Amino acid sequence: MSWKFFSEALFQKAPHALLVHLLIVFVTVSLAIVISVPLGVLLTRRNYQRFGIVALNILNILQAVPGMAVLALALPLFGLGLKPAIIALLVQSLLPIVRNTIAGLLGVNNDVKEAASGMGMSARQILLEVELPLAMPIIISGIKTTTVYVVSVGTLASLIGAGGLGYLIMGGLALFRFEYLIVGAGLGALLSIFFDWALSYLEARITPPGIQVE
Amino acid sequence: MIELKGVTKLYQGQAVPAVQNLSLSINRGEICVFVGPSGCGKSTTLRMINRMIEPSSGTIEIDGKNIMSSDPDSLRMGIGYVIQQIGLLPHRTIAENIAIVPRLYKWPKEKIKSRVNELLEMMGLDPAETRNKYPSQLSGGQMQRVGVARAMAVDPSIMLMDEPFGAVDPVARNRLQDEFLRLQKEINKTIVFVTHDINEAIKMGDKIAILNQGQLIQFGTPEEILTDPANDFVENFIGYDRIVKKLNLYTVAEAMKTSFGLVDEAEFSGINAKIPNAEVIFVRDQGEQLVGYLTAEDLSAQGAQRLTQVARQKRLSFVKLNTPLPDALSLMLENDADYVAVLDGDRLCGAI
Repeated sequence: MSWKFFSEALFQKAPHALLVHLLIVFVTVSLAIVISVPLGVLLTRRNYQRFGIVALNILNILQAVPGMAVLALALPLFGLGLKPAIIALLVQSLLPIVRNTIAGLLGVNNDVKEAASGMGMSARQILLEVELPLAMPIIISGIKTTTVYVVSVGTLASLIGAGGLGYLIMGGLALFRFEYLIVGAGLGALLSIFFDWALSYLEARITPPGIQVE
Repeated sequence: MIELKGVTKLYQGQAVPAVQNLSLSINRGEICVFVGPSGCGKSTTLRMINRMIEPSSGTIEIDGKNIMSSDPDSLRMGIGYVIQQIGLLPHRTIAENIAIVPRLYKWPKEKIKSRVNELLEMMGLDPAETRNKYPSQLSGGQMQRVGVARAMAVDPSIMLMDEPFGAVDPVARNRLQDEFLRLQKEINKTIVFVTHDINEAIKMGDKIAILNQGQLIQFGTPEEILTDPANDFVENFIGYDRIVKKLNLYTVAEAMKTSFGLVDEAEFSGINAKIPNAEVIFVRDQGEQLVGYLTAEDLSAQGAQRLTQVARQKRLSFVKLNTPLPDALSLMLENDADYVAVLDGDRLCGAI
């Protein structure tokens, strides 16, 4: 162990790697939310409910493929760099959010929906003002699962040239520079813990006050 | 006015219609109660009126207009709707819950606020204290009041109530029923009320529709149904105590005697006291407080001097004009009394 390599890893290499890693996480998770939440909503609407099982099964299969394999498969399809890495990660980010969106929406008390509809609220108003707010804590929890997953599997993205914290880890392994390895892995772990904590906080904050009272 | 003409609802995959060829009309300002055993189609019928369920055939008209010609959401905005489970939005405050329909109508904020306060007061809830609470902080009875307030928010002329007091304990239910009947005298809504409890139907209904297996068995006033049940089903459904139930329809005011005597105690001291000739004579002391009563028998059997004592020995109890008759009768049994005094406010006005 040498302080020289350690500080080189931490102060020269890490900031850029961390930024790239954060970029991968933000872009992937944002896209996952934009795709998964509406998909979850759609799969709970009466006319599309019957596709729910099929969709969840497909996502389950995608989720079952090891993360590394998906990244490796992205290489021949989309080439090297950030974009194929994000696409590969995205494929595996969808399931937790879709699943939790569906669970959250189906968990909304039927009497509440019935009363809302009986008062003349439109389907859209019921979705936006009743169903989504009440399902939100569970949806956020799905987003948290996805985020932590992308942070950790994101370290593999450097295999197909996307950079990020994985770059430090792979470099450390190749050069037997454990300082690099420790910095890369340590920051990855801290990042996971941070997102887990931040989203748990958000989950608690977003839980409607009337629900917390109980 | 609500008019159902030959309404039938056949659910997909079921051989027997949930509601079969049902026709009836409900007049403005009337409480019409649908009552029957579970699965008789009463809720289905109610829910067809605001198009929560679409009829398979037949028409429903509100004030002469077919409900199928209006958009379901705006139809529902104009009809108050109360369900047993209340369905308050748990993530909204009480004020926000009541404001839902006014907000759909895009009322200005100030108007909504004052209307919410007015409704909470009408329901016997303190606006300042209740406004910002969440539903989970209220008792069942309070939540039910909020549910009714919410349904009345924009003062709809029609209200649909599906077992609105079914989920609260009997004591609270009784109070809610009384309150609601008193309120109805002021607001005079056309109300369709669903219950499985025949006693609630008799108490609440101006008209009662008895349903069984999707068919209308009998439709009439509570008195008609109790006096003249259409068939064995209705008779069994009402129960064997229908004569007793019928008493519930009457108040003390309708059964009391208005001829009675009233004398001051002091008058007995004279030997030839002027004693009124009446079936029952109430006696009062110098302070004009009623202290007892005498019957015609007492007068003939006792000497005038002892009358005061006799009168005072009898326990005198009082009922109000609007007390239901059975309550007055049970009071008489309890006190072993031949008569009870009927008060209109503070004034003695009759005897039973």
